[in-house]
Amino acid sequence: MGTKRSWEGQTVVNMSASESTNPTLAIFGNFRDELDEHHDRRERIIKASRDITALSKKIIFALQRVRATKQPIPQNIIKENDARLEQIHKHFASVTADLVGIKSWRYQRQISGGVQEFIEAISFDHYLRTETLITHAEVVERLPGILVTEEDYLMGIFDLTGEMMRFAVTALSSGKVTPTDAAKAGVLVDLRAIRARCEALSVTGRHRASMYKDLAKKKEVMQNSVEKVERAAYGILVRGSERPSGWTPDLSGPAMEVETH
Amino acid sequence: MIDQRIFEDLQAKIDEETTVRDELHEIVQTLARRGRSTQAILSRAHSTPADQLKPVLDDAAVEILAQKQEVLRLKAVADQHPFYKYNGLWTRELQNLVTSIELCAWLGGLQEFKGSDSGSFLTIEEVGKFLEVPVNLKEQDAFHLTIEEYLLALISVVEELSRLAVNSVTLGDYERPLQIGNFIKDLFAGFQLLNLKNDILRKRSDGIKYSVKKVEDVVYDLSLRGLVPKGSAAA
Repeated sequence: MGTKRSWEGQTVVNMSASESTNPTLAIFGNFRDELDEHHDRRERIIKASRDITALSKKIIFALQRVRATKQPIPQNIIKENDARLEQIHKHFASVTADLVGIKSWRYQRQISGGVQEFIEAISFDHYLRTETLITHAEVVERLPGILVTEEDYLMGIFDLTGEMMRFAVTALSSGKVTPTDAAKAGVLVDLRAIRARCEALSVTGRHRASMYKDLAKKKEVMQNSVEKVERAAYGILVRGSERPSGWTPDLSGPAMEVETH
Repeated sequence: MIDQRIFEDLQAKIDEETTVRDELHEIVQTLARRGRSTQAILSRAHSTPADQLKPVLDDAAVEILAQKQEVLRLKAVADQHPFYKYNGLWTRELQNLVTSIELCAWLGGLQEFKGSDSGSFLTIEEVGKFLEVPVNLKEQDAFHLTIEEYLLALISVVEELSRLAVNSVTLGDYERPLQIGNFIKDLFAGFQLLNLKNDILRKRSDGIKYSVKKVEDVVYDLSLRGLVPKGSAAA
């Protein structure tokens, strides 16, 4: 009996005669339209979020080819990533109308994956250029019309530590950074600082299940990342001369990434 | 260099949110406690003949009106924050309350709040009017009853009434199963109009057909034995 819709969401069959005379069916016909609108919107947002996630991952891959911090990022990488950023902003722009006012929190979970991955990408870029963390306010400024929760921000920063780990290990194994230098300043020092700060954050009480749900998992992954860099530094210092040139420490290991969605 | 202020700000935000959740949680707890007592009163309908139901419904109405006051208290606090950020905290209790309201009204209570043209159940607008809260807000970010909450509440009403159909027979009431049958078949037809996705509404509404079948079996048993009262609608 239900009215079927074509793939564009157009009603194929119009209200049947009984629907307009039976009060219950008229009421539910109304609900159907409301719910269809909601589902369509939800799907548009999920799709945009997925596309943004994929593009952000590509930005991160490109940035892993950078070899030094606090240096201008090579032109070819900037060019690639600018094109991706432009596409990302188009995807965000395509759903801002769907995320306005009351709808921003209603669909927060649907857009959140894309927002977090985007934060990971721009915070990595920001870190490579400046060796500092991008702030929540700076992220908000780069996403006009999109709700960026503190939780999104923190989860993005957790993921950033994974990228910093990969970057640091590559730098160590290529010999660009010596283990003794690494312990004094730069990525390893910053990773330890982030780790200490994140471990100090407390979400307590009965709301732990609903607030910052992924906190515990992400924290564990981050702790692993820091240790991987520490072990790499140790390994190169102690056994460095015995390794053939071009050797890279093993980055595989348990729990490299947490799937959030 | 990692600026430690970043993390101090985050902690402040977390603490702020915890305070809001604590405050809302306390109100929802009260609402839940009163809700359980409303449901306990209404469950007496399963063992009370229809002509003696009045005192039960009056008791239920008193509890429901007390719950309404809690909802207004909740609304006052919730209105200070984004609706969907905290909606999950109270949605369950609000649904239970709407179920109680609908059930009480179907059984003949809360008559003064029922519109004349609305048939046997309160529309979402009527429920909103009764509770003095807005319904289905799409632009304004304020406390309200959502369509999903209302529909989920109706599904619980259907389940409760299918149980009542069986118990009515035990009480010697052969008329009420027919009324229940007509009512829930009407709602069932309504739910079939919805294009549901894989969500909670889909899961719950899939159960309606079993309720319909349960009531139809009762009606079948009655009619087979010639127990259906003469002149009733579904005979």
